[in-house]
Amino acid sequence: MSTVEEPRTEARRWVGQSVPRKEDPKLLTGRAGFIGDVVLPGMLHGAVLRSPHAHARIVSIDTSEAEALPGVVVVLTGATAAEHVDPMPAFCAEPVEQRAIAVERVRYPGEAVAAVAATDRYVAEDACERIRVEYEVLPALVDPVAAMDPSATRVHETLDSNIVFHRSLDWGEVDADLARAHTVVRSSARWHRMGAHPIETAGAVASWDPFGQSMTVYSNSNFINFLPWAFAGILRVSTNRLRMIPCAVGGSFGSKHLITKVISITGALSKACGRPVQYLEDRADNVAANDNVGCDRIYDAELALAEDGEMLGLVLRIIDDYGAYFQFAHGQHGNAVAQPVGPYRIGSVRYDVSCVLTNKVQQGFFRGAGADPGNFILERLVDKAALEMGIDRVELRRRNFVQPDQFPYKIPTGNIYDSGDYEAVLDRALEIAGLDGWRTEQERLRAEGRYLGIGLATCQERSGYNASEWWFLYGDEAPLPATSTPESCKIDVDAMGGVRATIGCPLWGNSPETVVGQVVAEEFGIDPSAVSVVYADSTSGAISAGPGGSRVTIMLSGATRGAARTVRDKMVRVAASAMEMDPEDVECVDGVFRAKGVPGTSMTMAEVGMRAHLFNDGTSEAESSGLVAVHTYDHPYFTPPTDDRSDLGAFYPMVSHACHIPIVEVDPETGEVTLRAYYVVNDCGTVMNPALVEGQVVGGIVLGIGAALMEEYRYGADDGALETPTLREYLLPSMHEVPEIVLEHLETPSPFTTYGVKGAGEGGRLVAPTAIASAVDDALRPFGVWVDELPMTPERVVGMIADARGDQR
Amino acid sequence: MKPAPFEYAGPRELDEALDLLAEHGDDARVLAGGQSLVRLMNARQVSPAVVVDINRVPGLDTLGLFGDNGSSTLRLGATVRQRTSELSDEVAAHAPLLAEAGAQVAHAPVRARGTVVGSVAFADPSAELPAALLALDGLVKVRSRAAERTVAADDFFTGPFRTSLAPDEMVVAVDVPVATGRTGSAFVELTRRHGDLPVCGAAAVVGVGDDGRVSHVRVALCGADERPVRVPAVEAAVLGADDPAAFTEAAAVAADGTSPIPSCHGSADFRRHLARVLTARALRTAFARATSPKETTDA
Amino acid sequence: MPDKVRVRITVNGARHDLLVEPRTLLADLLRGDLALAGTHLGCEQGVCGACTVIVDDVATRSCLVFAAQLDGSSVRTVESLAAADGTLHPVQRAFTQEHGLQCGFCTPGMLMAACELLERVPEPGREDIEESMGGNLCRCTGYQNIVRSVNAAGRLMADRTSSEQSGVRA
Repeated sequence: MSTVEEPRTEARRWVGQSVPRKEDPKLLTGRAGFIGDVVLPGMLHGAVLRSPHAHARIVSIDTSEAEALPGVVVVLTGATAAEHVDPMPAFCAEPVEQRAIAVERVRYPGEAVAAVAATDRYVAEDACERIRVEYEVLPALVDPVAAMDPSATRVHETLDSNIVFHRSLDWGEVDADLARAHTVVRSSARWHRMGAHPIETAGAVASWDPFGQSMTVYSNSNFINFLPWAFAGILRVSTNRLRMIPCAVGGSFGSKHLITKVISITGALSKACGRPVQYLEDRADNVAANDNVGCDRIYDAELALAEDGEMLGLVLRIIDDYGAYFQFAHGQHGNAVAQPVGPYRIGSVRYDVSCVLTNKVQQGFFRGAGADPGNFILERLVDKAALEMGIDRVELRRRNFVQPDQFPYKIPTGNIYDSGDYEAVLDRALEIAGLDGWRTEQERLRAEGRYLGIGLATCQERSGYNASEWWFLYGDEAPLPATSTPESCKIDVDAMGGVRATIGCPLWGNSPETVVGQVVAEEFGIDPSAVSVVYADSTSGAISAGPGGSRVTIMLSGATRGAARTVRDKMVRVAASAMEMDPEDVECVDGVFRAKGVPGTSMTMAEVGMRAHLFNDGTSEAESSGLVAVHTYDHPYFTPPTDDRSDLGAFYPMVSHACHIPIVEVDPETGEVTLRAYYVVNDCGTVMNPALVEGQVVGGIVLGIGAALMEEYRYGADDGALETPTLREYLLPSMHEVPEIVLEHLETPSPFTTYGVKGAGEGGRLVAPTAIASAVDDALRPFGVWVDELPMTPERVVGMIADARGDQR
Repeated sequence: MKPAPFEYAGPRELDEALDLLAEHGDDARVLAGGQSLVRLMNARQVSPAVVVDINRVPGLDTLGLFGDNGSSTLRLGATVRQRTSELSDEVAAHAPLLAEAGAQVAHAPVRARGTVVGSVAFADPSAELPAALLALDGLVKVRSRAAERTVAADDFFTGPFRTSLAPDEMVVAVDVPVATGRTGSAFVELTRRHGDLPVCGAAAVVGVGDDGRVSHVRVALCGADERPVRVPAVEAAVLGADDPAAFTEAAAVAADGTSPIPSCHGSADFRRHLARVLTARALRTAFARATSPKETTDA
Repeated sequence: MPDKVRVRITVNGARHDLLVEPRTLLADLLRGDLALAGTHLGCEQGVCGACTVIVDDVATRSCLVFAAQLDGSSVRTVESLAAADGTLHPVQRAFTQEHGLQCGFCTPGMLMAACELLERVPEPGREDIEESMGGNLCRCTGYQNIVRSVNAAGRLMADRTSSEQSGVRA
């Protein structure tokens, strides 16, 4: 399955340059066409009534007053919506059914109980206020540990227990490694649930044609060209009569892969009235009920080390609070086992995971997607080992890094790391951080009673996922053991030589147009600005898993180069035929097809284009008219898991790496943590576009600052009420919390991918939380504080100091 | 997240506004800057039948000195924007605490619309300006169709988002006695994120006599109780002190008997802890500013 | 339904004489009635700043103002910035030069907040930018490039002003 990049023989002209971003002009002028901007003739507006209770039986719903309100066209309850749409697709094997509008029982605060379509959003919300719901409140399960008790109320009657999934897997000789260890470091950790919270919420416009039994759906979903059949299933529309149209997406960070609830509700409303309906989550909808919530884990972890600090084995016992449903199964743990051992040569791993259901919104995906807490616990263990063993934390890492000559390196779980030079990254990071200066500053401030801390983390960023991570923790029962994550690009050169690329992925806030422009420009030797890029709807056949798992630049550059080369090669043949030469003697340079070594004999793109479109002379065998090619690029290095899962195969083998060194100051009285400076050295292989990569890394770091200090979903301990229902309670970092971030790159190109690129989309958030935790530890070392819970809110920091002082007394 | 229907009234005279309040009482809400009211209306946590927009009422944008010798009191009318107050030379000179607290409210665009009086009338127990007004011995000028009255700030705030305002009344201004003698003030707060409402904040005004001892002191807190509160126990302990070290000890009782409202940003206990820490800091800074006017930060 | 309110309002230089429902938020008037969809709604609580427009020269959250309040006012939105021939405003040019946007959803609010700041403070420091734009949330960029963009925009606008002035002199 592996492909190996050919040796780099000539300097690249466009790949690796900070070429201007093609996406910008429409975004800067308000013309990008977000889902909220879509207006169709006769379009109605939806709103949703949500449960105030975490867990309740719906005794009755009276919609008559709402229906009587002028301007209201449709009111649907869970029962009446079920006449139009089916439950959401489940990627789990367990019998956990979820409908977009609850039927009989609500299982989390904010679960939809009714939906309205009206002439405008204001009236739709007026109608929601007039729907009378009688609830019988049931006990709310808030604490995942309590929910595991066999006597606990069950979230789903169809399950025997709230432990919806449990599996323990050993890779390597874990027990032997624990037994032979000189030191076993143990740490618990708590990673609370956080949410993606893009500034644009999820939304859809659905337009049902009752005569053609067809539906058109505009949305900001990602998977329109990957799993369109899944949407058709919910909407009860033939797959070939559903057309899904992408919109510009105002950020996702993983939260908009499917947005099945929104599409289901919108589709049901449209089917019920035969008119187009737009439903956009408002922020309250989004915070309470979007599937944008990430991991919610309790770790009990051990790291076994030899006397010289060699890391031998790793034990991770995890309780993960999945909330009320299990739609996406345990993919976040498939993700985590891509890199549980980090950049270290750890010989064995035990991964024991319990997925628990409670009365909270279900987990979805959020930047990091399961590997984020994995990096947190691993780096915490390494720091703790350094402390306990009296080995410098930098030295301990150095001793255990996978070495440059060991790549491709197979980790115990079976995943492959493609390339890297971790020590070089570490050395450069230490250099740019000017560590000695900070240590001096730390001493100076301590004399003043101030607490400066220097953090350090060296972490992996697996990139380019394969679908096997979704299911391989199951055995044979996996409901959809998919093995493909394709990406497609269509290139066509018109009769005047104009190049257009049509791509299957939507604009999700990253830069697919720019990347495609760079790759096409590279292959034809033309300027990227000459390339036009459009987004395919679901009827195009350009199958695409789109952005996610830091894959889109890897995959899109592969797809684009494939299509571009197919068209270019055909143009060479057409030109050769026209110039009466052997194709071997014709080359494409700077957008001109010329005879090798014969100056003056050449054809322009337009000349070749016109000839190919209108002057097929029938002499070139098997050449049809026109210049168009679709290239679907599959995962470049995938191997299937073994049946016994002793080897999960290579599923996430493009592995970027980074070292982060944040500098913090902590006010021990108020618990306030302030970032003073931030240094990063990043290796994501070949840097496709430095400006864009920097944007991804810095943006990711700031999400990581949020994870470290601010972001947390909170639910009332007794009633399960959502205590963070708006962005006034669920805090996103602002400009004020961000220090100057200094970033450098090293490049160890991936041998598996086009041009050697690896992912860069998640690294910032995958590393920053654990790096900042280490900085706070360092600042508060005089108190003996050990950070094992995020976010480090002022109250937690003050509490940690008090606890540590209490322990010492 | 859209507001429920309401009638809009844009009176051009104060009497017209007061007539509307007399007629509609609890069903009406006064709209000045709208930075809290419209938010609550969008979430339908507040759905008044009538919104009385006072922004066109003449005379409510007064900002200036009046009183004995024409200069004993600083008055801010009901439509004076927080940003205007914060940048006003008169506020900086005569009530610097109001400027310092005001600069910590949200961000410039919010303060450019939000009003000082609006924040006072809204009576958010966590908000900066009500606490500052308390520490300044401010007065709340209240009008109804029938009467005019002046309420001491301490009597104005009665609970979370509750005041002694009757349904037919509105606040037309707040008055603050101007600072005299060797006086220093400070407002310090802890926010989860810059510009957010504080978890807890402390306002202090310290006057120092010729003997170098504290001759006047006011301490007020936000986020530390069900309403913005003065802390008489701390004030009593500080009076007569001449050493900043005494402030920390005095601040130890800052949270005694308080009932902070817990939230996701801080438990009641944590807010009590902050009340003590921030009271000490505010006192130290205010004292330093009183004794050495150039001193501007926490010692 | 309550009586509609007459609003005479100038938006991006165009005068409108409208009857609006009292509860219509400025943001919805712009996006709906006036079809200026460049102004985005992110939270409708005044927290995110995505809906920032300039009302009578003051940066304003259009989700926290009723259109009914704006009789006689003048509003500027992101649609006012670029010329019809496609020439970007210096603030827009600066944002693309410095990569100050990714998904672009918060961008119209950022641009309008930046314009208003630069009209008041032509060479803003980091503190000025934070104070004026710190309430505008961006989930993509990490802000670093937004700060750079605003600084670059200040320089571009200064260049434009000086070249216009020298043009007048010539």
